[in-house]
Amino acid sequence: MRKSSLAVAAAASAALSACVQTRQFADVQFTLPSGAYKLLVLRPDVTVGSIATGGMVEPRADWTEQARTSIVQALRAQQSALGGNVTIIEHRDQLPGVTAQELADVERLNFAVDQSIVDAKYLGNSLPTKRGRGLDWTLGPDAVRLGQKTGYDYALFLHAEDQVASKGRVALGLLGLAGCFIGFCAPNVGGQQQLDYASLVDLKTGQVVWFNVVTAGSQVPGIKFGDLRTPQGAAQMVERLLGRMKPGRDVRRQLQAR
Amino acid sequence: MCARCLEVTRRSLLLGGGAAAATLHTGVANARIRPQDMVPLVGPGYKPTERDEIGIWQLMERAEEEIAGSNLLIQDPKLTGYLQNLIGTVGGPAARDFRIYLARIPEFNAMMFPSGFAIVFSGLLLRMRDEAQLAGVIAHEAGHFLRRHMIRSWRDQKRKTDLFSIGAMLAGVGGAGAGVYLGDYVQLAQLGTILSLFQYSRQMEAEADAMGIRNLAAAGYDPMAMSTIWQQLIGEENASARYRGKHRRKGSIFDTHPSEGSRMVDLKADALELTVPGKVYDRHRERYLSTIGSIRPTLLDDQVKLNDPGASQYLIETLAQDGWNGLLRFYEGEVWRLRNRAGDEARAAQSYAAAVAYPDAPADAWRWHGIALMKQGRSGEAKGAFARYLQMKPDAPDAAWVRQMAG
Repeated sequence: MRKSSLAVAAAASAALSACVQTRQFADVQFTLPSGAYKLLVLRPDVTVGSIATGGMVEPRADWTEQARTSIVQALRAQQSALGGNVTIIEHRDQLPGVTAQELADVERLNFAVDQSIVDAKYLGNSLPTKRGRGLDWTLGPDAVRLGQKTGYDYALFLHAEDQVASKGRVALGLLGLAGCFIGFCAPNVGGQQQLDYASLVDLKTGQVVWFNVVTAGSQVPGIKFGDLRTPQGAAQMVERLLGRMKPGRDVRRQLQAR
Repeated sequence: MCARCLEVTRRSLLLGGGAAAATLHTGVANARIRPQDMVPLVGPGYKPTERDEIGIWQLMERAEEEIAGSNLLIQDPKLTGYLQNLIGTVGGPAARDFRIYLARIPEFNAMMFPSGFAIVFSGLLLRMRDEAQLAGVIAHEAGHFLRRHMIRSWRDQKRKTDLFSIGAMLAGVGGAGAGVYLGDYVQLAQLGTILSLFQYSRQMEAEADAMGIRNLAAAGYDPMAMSTIWQQLIGEENASARYRGKHRRKGSIFDTHPSEGSRMVDLKADALELTVPGKVYDRHRERYLSTIGSIRPTLLDDQVKLNDPGASQYLIETLAQDGWNGLLRFYEGEVWRLRNRAGDEARAAQSYAAAVAYPDAPADAWRWHGIALMKQGRSGEAKGAFARYLQMKPDAPDAAWVRQMAG
C-alpha cells in the first residue's frame, strides 16, 4: 500500500517535471514592429531528431523537413496577422543584390552575438557594463548595409531543435516507472527536449532589439508539449517564441505614465 | 539494509574486473588488419538510403555549407586543386565524390565527415616532406568514408548505449524485485560499454590505415611513406615533451586512435606486403614543394608562434633533412629568438647569418640579421643588411624605422 502510494507520488512529480520556460529581453527603447513593416527571416535553423533507448539522438531528415515546413507556415500566418510583410529565405543565394558570402557573414556574426547574449543574460555570466541596460548588443554596420541593400526593416533569426522520445525510450521510462512499485524508481530517464530561440535585429540601426529563448523538456519519456512536426505544434512554438513580444523598459514606462 | 540481500562479494567483483581488464588488454593490442582484406563498402556516387544515415547527411549538408564559406579556409586555387587531385587519385571508387578543404590551423590533423568532405589542417602541409606522405594521410581519410566508418560507429554506439540502458534498468528493477543490489555490476558494465566504444573507434582507425595504404599503393605511391609520417610525429612529440620536461603520452584504453607506435609498426608491415619488388618509387618531393612553396613561410610562421620550441625545432630539422635553405634557417633563428633563454640571442644571430647566405632568404631574415649585427656593434655591415631588407620590401610597415636605423 505504502509502496504504491509512493509510486503515484513519484509519477505525479515526474509529470510535473515536464515544463516549458520562456524568457525574453528587449532593448530599452524597443517598440513592437507595427504598420506595414518589412521583415526578413533568414534560413530558419530547424533540426528534429529521435532519442534512442540509450539516449543517443538520431537526426531525422523527414521530420526536420516536416517541422521546417510547419514552422514556416506558422510564421507567415503569425506575422501577416500583425500586418507585417514577411520574406522567408531558405538559401543564402535567394536574396537579390546580396551575395551568399555577405549573408553568411551576417549570419555568423549574429550567431556569435546570440551566444554572447545567452552567456550574459541566460547563463548568469552578467556583464557589469550592460547592467540595467536591457538588451544592449549590435550587429553593427554589416546589418545596416544589409538593410540598405534590401530595403527590409528587420531581420529575424530563428533556431528550433526538437528531440522526440522514441518508442524504446518511452518503454525504458515505463519500465523505470513500473520499478517504483517494487522499490527501484527511475521514471525520469529523460524525454522530449526542445530548444528554440529567436533574435530580432533592427536593420536601420544594426541593434539586436529583442531576444527570446524557449526551452521545453520532460524528464519522463512519452510526455509531449508541442510537436514541431505538426502544424499545431509549430504554431504553438511560434506563439511561445514570438507571440508574446513585449516592448522595451522605457517604452513600457512611457505607456504606463500615460 | 535488507536481510535477504545476496551481497556482491568481493571475489565476484574481482573476477568481473579481471575479465573486463582482460578484454581491455586485447583491446589495446589489436591484431593488424591486412590491406588485402579491406574492400571499399561504397561505390561511385554513393547516396544514403537508410533513415539514420539520411538524417546525418542532412545535418552534414549544413555543416559543409558553413565550412565551405569559413574564413579559416585557405582559398588558393592552386593548393585546393592540388588536394582535390590527390584525393581523386587515392580515393578509390568514391574518388570523384570527395570534396576537400584546407583550413589554416597549425596542427597535425585532417578529418573526414560522414557525407564525404574532408578538412586538411595547414599544419599537415608543413609536416609532410613529400607528396607520397600527404597522399598517405588523405588516403587514410578517404578510407574512413570508403569503409562507412561514421555511420558504422554511430550505429555501434547506439546499439551499445541502448543495450546498456536496458540492461541497467532491468538490473535495477529486477534486482529490486529479487532484493539484490546489482549497482556494482551496472557500473562495471558501464565501464565495459565505454571502453568497447573506444576500442571500436581504434578498430576503425586501423581499418582506415589499411584501406588507405592499399589505395595509396594502387595509385603508384611508395606505401612506405605512411609509416614514416608516424615516425616523424613520434619524434616531434618526444622533442616537444622533452623540452617541457615531460614525457610523451603513450597509448591508453581511453584512446580513440591506436597508439602512434603501433600504427607505425602495422603500416610498415603493410608496406612490405604492398611494395612492388624492383619498382623505383618517386615520392614527388619537387612537385609537392613547388605547390606549397607559396604558403610555406606562413606555415612556418604559424608554427613558431605556437610557443612550442621543442616541436618547432624538431620540425625544422626534419624538413632540413631534405636540405637546408634560407627559409628554414630564418625560422630556426625565430625559434631561438622567441624562446629567449640565455644564449638564444647568439644562436638566433647565427641562424640569421646562415639564412642570408642562401638566395631564398626571406626579407625578414635580412632585417633580423641587421638588428643582430647592430647589437654586436657591426653597424657598417648592419646598414648593408637593412638596405637589402628595404630593397626587398620597400613598402614594409616598419620601413621608416629601418631607414632611420640604416642612417
